[in-house]
Amino acid sequence: MATTLSAAGTGRRRSSTWIGWSFILPNFLGFAALTLVPVIAALALSFLDWDSYSTPRWVGLDNFERMIHNDTFWTALKNTAYYAIGHVPLTLCAALGFAVLLNQKLRGARFFRTALFFPYITSLVAVAVVWNMLLSPDLGPVNQFLRAIGIDSPPGWTTSTTWAMPAVIVASVWRDLGYYMILYLAGLQTIPAELYEAAEVDGANGWQRFWSITVPSLRPTTFFVLIMLTISSFKVFDLIQVMTEGGPGRSTLVLSQVIYREGIVQGRFGYSSAVSMVLFAIVLTITLIQFQLQRRSER
Amino acid sequence: MKRHLVPTLAAAAALALLTACGGSGSSDQPADGAQTIKVALWNYATTPEFKAIIDGFQQANPTIKVEPVDILADDYAEKVTTMLAGGDTTDVLTMKNVIDYSRFGTRGQLLPLTDEAKKLDPAKYSGLSAYDLEGKYFALPYRQDFWVLYYNKALLKQAGVEESKLQNLTWDGYATLAKSLTKGDGGTKVYGAYQHTWRSVVEATAAAQTGGDLLSGDYGFFKDQYSMTLDLQKNGTLMPWATASSQKVTYNTMFSTGKAVLMPMGTWYASTLLADTKSGKTKVEWGMAPLPQRASDGKVTTFGSPTAFAVNKNSKHSDAAKKFVEWASSEAGAMAVAKAGVTPALTSQQILDTYFALPGVPNGEVAKQAFKPDKVVLEMPVSDKSSDVDQILTEEHELIMTGEKSLDDGLAEMSKRVKSEVR
Repeated sequence: MATTLSAAGTGRRRSSTWIGWSFILPNFLGFAALTLVPVIAALALSFLDWDSYSTPRWVGLDNFERMIHNDTFWTALKNTAYYAIGHVPLTLCAALGFAVLLNQKLRGARFFRTALFFPYITSLVAVAVVWNMLLSPDLGPVNQFLRAIGIDSPPGWTTSTTWAMPAVIVASVWRDLGYYMILYLAGLQTIPAELYEAAEVDGANGWQRFWSITVPSLRPTTFFVLIMLTISSFKVFDLIQVMTEGGPGRSTLVLSQVIYREGIVQGRFGYSSAVSMVLFAIVLTITLIQFQLQRRSER
Repeated sequence: MKRHLVPTLAAAAALALLTACGGSGSSDQPADGAQTIKVALWNYATTPEFKAIIDGFQQANPTIKVEPVDILADDYAEKVTTMLAGGDTTDVLTMKNVIDYSRFGTRGQLLPLTDEAKKLDPAKYSGLSAYDLEGKYFALPYRQDFWVLYYNKALLKQAGVEESKLQNLTWDGYATLAKSLTKGDGGTKVYGAYQHTWRSVVEATAAAQTGGDLLSGDYGFFKDQYSMTLDLQKNGTLMPWATASSQKVTYNTMFSTGKAVLMPMGTWYASTLLADTKSGKTKVEWGMAPLPQRASDGKVTTFGSPTAFAVNKNSKHSDAAKKFVEWASSEAGAMAVAKAGVTPALTSQQILDTYFALPGVPNGEVAKQAFKPDKVVLEMPVSDKSSDVDQILTEEHELIMTGEKSLDDGLAEMSKRVKSEVR
């Protein structure tokens, strides 16, 4: 009796495994054909010299050696790190701040939630054009305002090597914060109201409630947001390409642009793949470190 | 990173699949002997010479049908690279610039046209030598653009300046004149001149007129042209480069709305002006003069670049495709191009007369002289280093024009980077 039952159980388990596999199969096939295979191909390409037409030539580590001695690569790497260091914390804080603010039962909260999400779904090219106009050194409203409040020589923003990166970071924070705010809003809904009531009874003020209840309860959301933000900052391409094209000079040139220029424009797919492998390694390492830290703090 | 490599590789793979499927199924040779060839080109609707060439060719060769493959101009080079990587069989490929041409040619992606090129008279085809890749030719030019000075006739008249003054202008004369033509302030300001943000406006001019080599890594010969431009920018004669760049100002807006009086620009702009005048988009009265020179000895040196057609190595109708390429650069093709308001590669008195007979083309002495430069230097020398050098020069040009680097520092940095980074 007992044996027949367990046999039936294994059979059912096995068939449910197959059903499970069949459910993810369509997605996996798409992933394999469009992501996995090209990634492996890129890894192989990074050891080759290939212009997309002639027969590829094995060059070993030449591509990587060239990269290490290339000034443009290091400039782009530094700029990418600069962008990530600015973009990740600012977007995180802004998204959390607005989420907490708009989670309250305020009049018009719905309107503001929608308004803050708008930049995320707006065409990026339009966004870049508008930001460029706002930040225009002579005629832009931003600098006109700065002059009106008594700053005689306001920054040149996207036309200045010092201010171009901050300008790009501000524009990207503005664009991304709506999306991450929605994630935080979802996280806030899961915090039981009793916790706040209990804290209130114990006499905790708003600030104390925020730091001792909201922030710790949101830890899983913050972890997810942090990972997604880090990955997207290191991969940034589109906004910078349309706003500054990496300029002035190379002051906002990031790694993705180097990959695009070397690969698609110049046809040096080997070197371009080598750079993309470095970028991949950096993102992977940072993500693994974040996972490690998360695991430790859970213990 | 991989995000951008992925679509390309995927696109290449998809293209390969598509073309493999398409190749076998299509009817290459219908019963009546008619053939269809495909021509890769850009912005078909707004580039009049393509239609002119195709219509003219079809009339001369009724058995061959030509089908345009329209590609966005900005993406043209990348798109053709991807197409060729995927084994695409589009028969005729337009070579938008000579640097891309040399890349396709040296990779062996184009059919040799050396015999056809030898039939052309190099004295009449000023752009032909640019297609010489170690004695072999893979494309024939049908169009040759070069730089002239456009001017707004009405504004010049208002200021009481004779048009003939532009006939033998030096850069010093240009600077003085532009300064005196600058008027107004703020939104109604009229700039004496507009120099577009491209580095060629300064650098290719300097290289052509001083005989400097853009690939050499020594850029002292840029100095005069940059000093003049920076001075004009400083005293408000030119719109600041930073404004033009961040606002993405188009040269057409600046000139056709009367916001600038003088503007150095390529001959292609004339066809835009002709079309816009015809459709009523602009009412500007415009003229063309020779590009200003360093010395006033009457010799005109300018720069420019040719455009050509080439035959894809994978073409299944290579004979018909070759016929098309030959026709486009022939006398008949040149006439069709000239009638479309564009400057053909072949120059002859008859073709010039055809061009100047077009309604709306300024045909005074000054314009006619503008169209007979003594020497047209290739905008960027062709070499496997050209695109890397171009990138560096563009980046440093931005820094000099925005004042982020002094002229001397900028020029020194150009030399340093070209010598150390380009191999």
